Amino acid sequence: MIRVEGLVHDSLAIPALEIPDGETAVIGPNGAGKTTLLRILSGITLPAQGSVRVDGIPPREREVGWVGEYPDRNFLFDRVRDEIASPLRFRHLPCGETDARVQEVAEMLGIARLRDRSVMALSGGEKVLVALAAALVSRPRLLLMDEVDSHLDPDTVLLMEAALRRAGCPAVIRVTAQMESALRASHLVFLQGGKVLHQGPPDRVFSALEDTAFLPPLWRCGR
Amino acid sequence: MRVSLQGVEVRRGEWTLTADGIFTQGRHLVTGPVGSGKSTVALLIAGMVTPDRGTVAREGEGPIFLSLPFPEHHSTGATVREEIASWGLAPDPVLSGAGLAGKLPEELHRCSRGELKRLHLACVLARRWDLLLLDEPYTALDCPAREALSARLSAPPAAMTVIFTHARESLPRVDRLWEIREGRLVDLGPVREAIPLWSSPPAYLRSALDQGAVPENISVQDVREALCRTDG
Repeated sequence: MIRVEGLVHDSLAIPALEIPDGETAVIGPNGAGKTTLLRILSGITLPAQGSVRVDGIPPREREVGWVGEYPDRNFLFDRVRDEIASPLRFRHLPCGETDARVQEVAEMLGIARLRDRSVMALSGGEKVLVALAAALVSRPRLLLMDEVDSHLDPDTVLLMEAALRRAGCPAVIRVTAQMESALRASHLVFLQGGKVLHQGPPDRVFSALEDTAFLPPLWRCGR
Repeated sequence: MRVSLQGVEVRRGEWTLTADGIFTQGRHLVTGPVGSGKSTVALLIAGMVTPDRGTVAREGEGPIFLSLPFPEHHSTGATVREEIASWGLAPDPVLSGAGLAGKLPEELHRCSRGELKRLHLACVLARRWDLLLLDEPYTALDCPAREALSARLSAPPAAMTVIFTHARESLPRVDRLWEIREGRLVDLGPVREAIPLWSSPPAYLRSALDQGAVPENISVQDVREALCRTDG
């Protein structure tokens, strides 16, 4: 459980918000504060006012993973296996354990065949999966993804979602502009103007968005 | 304006794209997964990539524009005011079209990517082009902006517009569908006949086809109308 209390930061004003474990999609118009909220939930940004707790503990004291909109802009190493291993190597984990965990996460995400490839030679979808593997190799309690799907086609988004479920991270929070992907999350948060206007299961949130452009096309066409 | 691709082949290491077909006046949609070669086709048509084999022939004189996926790649001004002026446009209609009222003095680097994309598209669409190539025009836009863009692109153009996208929500009405399948650009034909041949249609369109609907075009509005007709 992620609990936000008395949050005020830039345009964000969230008196109270509880995000359950599972897969949460954060949606809303440009400028709603989605990325700012994600950065605060991750602990990258400290809020001007208020608090965030993950199981009662500040995010900076928990294992948190982050995948940004342009994963390849954050790659540090050329070879896929080195990129995935980097969070563990920076912590000086024994080589045997590092190799075993890289192997485990690569197989879980279906990218073991890419281990010796250059990250720059990968497709857009493969780059996302490598960034996801590097975030998951530390076994985070909470994984945050900022519009990772904005440069992916819907079929690749489905592959990414399936990989996420196999990874078994207790809480995944992702900002997305693809409403049909948001429909498949277990929980939705709709932000507008820095405020949480709606939250809850996708059916309930999208019912409240019936007359807006945020309604998934499938719903507009009678589901 | 007419663009003809004959026996075109582009090779990049193990990756190969082949293309044959003729683009004429009207609205064209080129779809395919990420990495399939949509941007390469856009660059070929724009004359910015030379094929390893075959020819790309453009007939007709007039201005051509290729809009790239990242709006910052087009920015030349330091502020919104300078950017609009660099296109030779009056600020008010652009600001209103981009939903950026009051942002004229804003520095471009302070704009979000969504704002930049709206600004760029408003400038592009305010000018007249004989051939307009839009590579991933929906990237970085939120749902209301995507819907507004599709409504704008659904209007029949004076010349030729080619939209390249992997997006499958909020698509515009078009005249002709193209798809990249396993490294080959395939002309699926005029939209009505092309819809059943489309291997990766949007989920709302696939669902409607499964229900026996026969949409006239690919927008959500067309599909809703077709479903109403099916329901009788």
